Amino acid sequence: MNTRYLVLVGLLVTLLMGCRKEYEAPVPYNFSNLTGSGKFSTAIRQSINGVYTVTDGSDKFGAQVVLRWTYTHTGADTSHHLSVFTSNVGYFDMEPQPQTGGLAVGGYWRRLQDTEIGLVQLTVNVRRSGAVSPFTGRLSTGDTLVVSGVYGDGDVTPTKRLTMTYARPLNARPFSVLAHRSGGRTSDLLPASENSVEIIKMASRLGATGIEIDVRYTKDGVPILYHDNTLNLRLIQKNGLAGPIEEYTYQQLNTLVRLVNGERIPTLEEALQTVVDNTDLSFVWLDTKYVRSMTQVQSIQRTYLQRAKAAGRSLQIVIGLPSDDAVSLYRDLPEKSNTPVLCELDTSITRSINANIWAPRWTLGDQTAEVNAMKAEGRTVFVWTLDEPQFIREFIDQTRFDGILSNYACVVAYYHYSQQ
Amino acid sequence: MIFYGLPIRLTTLLTIWLLAAGLSAQGQRRLAPADSTAPRPSTRRVRQPLPADHPRAIEPGVRRPGIYFPQAPIPGRWRKSIGVVFTTTPPELTEEIRVNVPAIDFNLQRGISKNWFITGRILTQVVQSNVGVGVRYARPLTDRLFISAGDDMHIWFGALQIKDVFNSQAYGLQNFPNVSVGYRFTRDVQMTLKGEAILDAYYKSQVGNLTIERNAIRYNGLAVTVAIEQPLYDKKHVTLGLRAAYSNFNWQLWSLYDTFDRNLFYPQLIFGFIL
Repeated sequence: MNTRYLVLVGLLVTLLMGCRKEYEAPVPYNFSNLTGSGKFSTAIRQSINGVYTVTDGSDKFGAQVVLRWTYTHTGADTSHHLSVFTSNVGYFDMEPQPQTGGLAVGGYWRRLQDTEIGLVQLTVNVRRSGAVSPFTGRLSTGDTLVVSGVYGDGDVTPTKRLTMTYARPLNARPFSVLAHRSGGRTSDLLPASENSVEIIKMASRLGATGIEIDVRYTKDGVPILYHDNTLNLRLIQKNGLAGPIEEYTYQQLNTLVRLVNGERIPTLEEALQTVVDNTDLSFVWLDTKYVRSMTQVQSIQRTYLQRAKAAGRSLQIVIGLPSDDAVSLYRDLPEKSNTPVLCELDTSITRSINANIWAPRWTLGDQTAEVNAMKAEGRTVFVWTLDEPQFIREFIDQTRFDGILSNYACVVAYYHYSQQ
Repeated sequence: MIFYGLPIRLTTLLTIWLLAAGLSAQGQRRLAPADSTAPRPSTRRVRQPLPADHPRAIEPGVRRPGIYFPQAPIPGRWRKSIGVVFTTTPPELTEEIRVNVPAIDFNLQRGISKNWFITGRILTQVVQSNVGVGVRYARPLTDRLFISAGDDMHIWFGALQIKDVFNSQAYGLQNFPNVSVGYRFTRDVQMTLKGEAILDAYYKSQVGNLTIERNAIRYNGLAVTVAIEQPLYDKKHVTLGLRAAYSNFNWQLWSLYDTFDRNLFYPQLIFGFIL
């Protein structure tokens, strides 16, 4: 075959590769992160939490959404956020707008499966005898909350109408909404990188009540958060470094490596300190990505369980055991009492190490018999890592799991809180 | 910003492809000894008739072995090929891991008239398979240039039963309207450019007793294939092809349960022996 035709094919391939679209979803809203809740008192926030019917904007966000307030501690103060969880893998992240006269929130909406994002501005009103007026904090019999305003696409000033009418309270059944990799995948174009301190602070705004984080060791023995086996451009900014993260010291990583959104790779202690100090998360799953003694992680686990207890927090920190190697490391611990663990292997291994939590893969299905047996023995059962929205709904509606680990905590939150 | 550049695995596939193309070119030269009296390429503009034994000389209307080339088989005759297709997994789905299990690729075609023919294709990786049938209309525009248009319907199905890992199965229906343009460089070397739209018609997945189903027809993406068909050794003909698919869903990766609502790049290397 003539060389020119090979060149032609090469050019075609290059052209195809060159046409690849670059994906990004920059957040169009700057959060003020003001502390306090402004006019949104505790009672008002509680009255707003609920399942809402969407009229204007249902083509974009679905016929029903879930509204839920969350908070982030900043030192002695607290910042409040109103989240909206939608059925189409989306969320709103909004903060109170103190400069307005009534009860107003502003922020952005995002759909996680693509690059859709935009601004949103809403006010809280009450419908009384057919008339809608600003909500002042008091609901009488027959009153209905109406959260309405405008949304837009990208960073343009929002003009499209959005109306959400209160339908019923949130489902109160206890259920753990666990966010994978501290909040979600970097590849879903979240505002913060996976396994960063920044996304831990954001996890509850994405719907999570707990998080899973990936623990590895640096060359000099510092436990850090990082998912992959190697430094690669999926997770970090270009810097010329490559290879296993275990070949670099903590100082090298801290100085030379930045995650995709510019954050430092955090140590396990920084991550847990953030959970205790800054969040209302109630569960942390320390996934074992290392093959070395578990003693240091166990020690850190104990330290932060004590700190949480001292702070009056109801926080569980468990060591995840995803493999036979991890189970062996756990068995090798000289002192295993007061070391909560989560076993991802089969029920017999879970029983043999008396793990508090059993967590099988979701691709095994409902596993009703095993789930019932483990729950009857007093164990908690989670399923991982489930991102398919329709299966999330099926697992919540038709199984007896106590929680779901997902990259889309907002979807799990939507289906759990809206369940009747 | 997420941009991974040219995947290393893809460059490996390209290298293999170019090596195979080189071998094939060598085979072609053996079949057609160099003719020192042949006109230089710069003189071809004159369009003088080529001698019958010239390597670039073709016989109008003659059908050469090929599966991708848009020319119908002789009515009532079969064309067959067997080979492998390597698909490189997109980093968005498999992250730092590249899974590259070749699929066995069996093609079957039968002429039903001068211009019409039916096609059949089986792709299998044992735990997941794809069976397609289609119909195509092909006709020559000149002695060297051919075109075709057709439509293929494919059923794919997969089942994974792995202890403590999978209790899952899925199947679906996809449709591929396609057009091809082929150019015959010599009597034995022909290149085809094929474009396909990928339409999802049905999807059903089951894990344990839980099931989800989607039966709306939706646009899933497109694919472009460049294929060369020519002799290799001992007059055996081969297909060497590159298929670039940009699609929202790829049946070979059903078990990863992709949630991205955007088209991902699936490069494929195609190698087939024409039987």
